[in-house]
Amino acid sequence: MPESTTPAADQVLDCIGLACPLPVVKTAQAVKSLASGQVLELLATDAGVEPDMRAWSSRTGNDLLSVTKQGDVFHILIRVK
Amino acid sequence: MWAEDSETKILYVQTHGVTDPGRSATPFFLAASAAAMEFEVMIYFTMYGPSLLRRDVVDKIGPKGDQGQPLRYFIEQATGLGVRLLVCQPSLDLNDLVIEDLIDGVEVIGGAAFNDLAASADAVISF
Repeated sequence: MPESTTPAADQVLDCIGLACPLPVVKTAQAVKSLASGQVLELLATDAGVEPDMRAWSSRTGNDLLSVTKQGDVFHILIRVK
Repeated sequence: MWAEDSETKILYVQTHGVTDPGRSATPFFLAASAAAMEFEVMIYFTMYGPSLLRRDVVDKIGPKGDQGQPLRYFIEQATGLGVRLLVCQPSLDLNDLVIEDLIDGVEVIGGAAFNDLAASADAVISF
């Protein structure tokens, strides 16, 4: 059986309609409530969210697993460090 | 004043005050983003900047006037992530303020402390 490339999220954080810096701020708060290795799925519509979350991940050491866009909504999977 | 173990330190400087609401919130946005990135962050309010921290003002103004969130919302977003707010005495005097006029938690420093923070920060960003 092939290994799944998109793990199921342990928590979904809905930031649809929220502008910068809220997706970053709320993500930072959300990962604090998750255990190491758990996966957070961020849903956001802010146009700058992809570069923001890449910068945030690389600075904080959390692992950005994937970024996909469905319609106007970015789905960003992050594995907590 | 910086914690010795913080890896990246950013000092923002806000010089604009209540007469220019459109310039009031961005330093708080950027500071909150930086704190979310686990940077150590301070905002130094000088010139007209301290007027933004008046406890009788933070609920009455916002970057878009009567629309959207008041300034208190953006301030608390930043301070909730650990951002520290600093003023200096001459700037309080310039705005006819005393520290008790400001929201809780604002720290008073002087020019030497500011320069020390600036010299040891990784970035100083002034508005």
